[in-house]
Amino acid sequence: MARKPAPKPPVTDNDILQALAFAIATGDIVNFRFLFVPYSPLRDDSTEDLRTDKYSYLLPPDENDPDYREALKAAQAPGLLAHVRAQLAKNGPPQLPWEPLLKLADNAVRLEKFAAAAQAYELLRIRRRMQEEFLAQADAALAAGDTPAGVRGYRTAVGLDYDYAAFPEPLPAVPRHQVTALILHGEYPRTPEEAVAVQPPERHADTALNYLLQNVEIAGCLSALPLDAKTAFLEEWIRQTDPDWDAFAESYRAACALAREQGERLERAKTDAPPQSLAEEVAELAAEDNNPRRISARLASRSALDLEWWQYLKDMAYAHPASALFVARQAVSHDTEIIMPRYRADSQLARRLGLAAE
Amino acid sequence: MPASDSGYVDYPEILGLPPDFKPADVRRNYRKKIKDLLAEITGQIMTEDRRNQYLLQIAQINAAFYILRDKDLAERYLADREEVMALEEAWQRAAGDAEAADGGRRRFDQALRHFLSTYLEEMMLQAGRDPECVENSGWDAAHERHASSVLRHYRQRLYHQIHERLPYYDVTRPEVDWTERASFVRGVLRGGNA
Repeated sequence: MARKPAPKPPVTDNDILQALAFAIATGDIVNFRFLFVPYSPLRDDSTEDLRTDKYSYLLPPDENDPDYREALKAAQAPGLLAHVRAQLAKNGPPQLPWEPLLKLADNAVRLEKFAAAAQAYELLRIRRRMQEEFLAQADAALAAGDTPAGVRGYRTAVGLDYDYAAFPEPLPAVPRHQVTALILHGEYPRTPEEAVAVQPPERHADTALNYLLQNVEIAGCLSALPLDAKTAFLEEWIRQTDPDWDAFAESYRAACALAREQGERLERAKTDAPPQSLAEEVAELAAEDNNPRRISARLASRSALDLEWWQYLKDMAYAHPASALFVARQAVSHDTEIIMPRYRADSQLARRLGLAAE
Repeated sequence: MPASDSGYVDYPEILGLPPDFKPADVRRNYRKKIKDLLAEITGQIMTEDRRNQYLLQIAQINAAFYILRDKDLAERYLADREEVMALEEAWQRAAGDAEAADGGRRRFDQALRHFLSTYLEEMMLQAGRDPECVENSGWDAAHERHASSVLRHYRQRLYHQIHERLPYYDVTRPEVDWTERASFVRGVLRGGNA
């Protein structure tokens, strides 16, 4: 017969404060809400024990962390513990205290955990107004020439967006460039000039804003900016959101060199003598150096050379969303398409982002 | 608050019907409204947003006709609408009493979800398959495929709009100081802590 488990020790005020403060400090809305669920380890009537390894993630690893100490002070606000205790003893849906929730949302914004911040602000019913506040101050910063601050404001406003069409419940909108990049390149350019990457600078900047911000309404607020300001905004946006951009730029330049090499090889093939035998021709085609997919593979930092163009594009856009703005689809045979690096020779943005070879 | 702004879709108002409307009024107004709308659409350059907006407008007019031309369905819709509005009012009144408010909120939430999913999604899609609506509005399977996400978005938006004016229940009522909020935002934009 199984032995009855020993009753868990009572939950102390310190347990509650520590768990609350840690969730607030880390801007973790999931853990914060979990503390109030019917099977929460903070409830005396729950069999779950906060002091087991299973729940160590709810407690701070370092109690001297300044952010945690700050959050602990907020959790110790008069009346808060009593309210939390009452909710933990209650049968029925808990009512979360607004002050720690607001602090949690603010910390989530600072830590760029925008989905968590959006959920917390949404619960407080101030999400839209916070978005408006970020946009208003970001516009003021851009008008004053402070592009980094303006970009930070726009990034936060976009990050706080909500998707009300999500199923089954509305959820924070999250970046999905790996999908929108495919839409951006959905149609094969009938002429090379139709490719997104070689659109006239003004149009390219608007396309880039719509694609990167993923919110037509918010991107529309920037459409009246002059081209120079848009270019500066885009460069700053890309550098803030993609810390590894320089590594991509290096791959991009290498892919440009491969594309040039491939072009030269094709030119040579026109004048050189054709292969003497079928075996020679097959061997030439099979040679890795000849495979045009290595250009796409270099762009996407993949080693596989047998993927479709859209697989490379998807990988590349997931890791470096802005990369999709500087490539184009190219058919290299009747059944093979690749993605190639492309940009306009007069593109200031490509130059500033280090894509154009010096 | 005027009933039309309440978030509970008012189909007689969509068709411009008087309170004591007759089935003949429904048919006449429906044909006029849909004809005017289709004429307006013909002259427009279509964008994604505009297409969604027109799709929603056609779906609303079709649903209004589909529901109101049938006496039983119209009565059921009007009764459900009144009930959900009365439940909201009752809950608003009971907001001070935690236990009564909790029960009231559950009843209201259930009725609201039923109302929105039935009359703002289900009926709109059903109306699109009705031969008379198909004939007048040119609604087809492609419209329906695209409309399901537009309608879900519309339903969630209305749910949210209604929800925002209700008493707080899942969070204590926040006392937000917007001057402090503005200063927090300034701090974030500067790249440091507020």
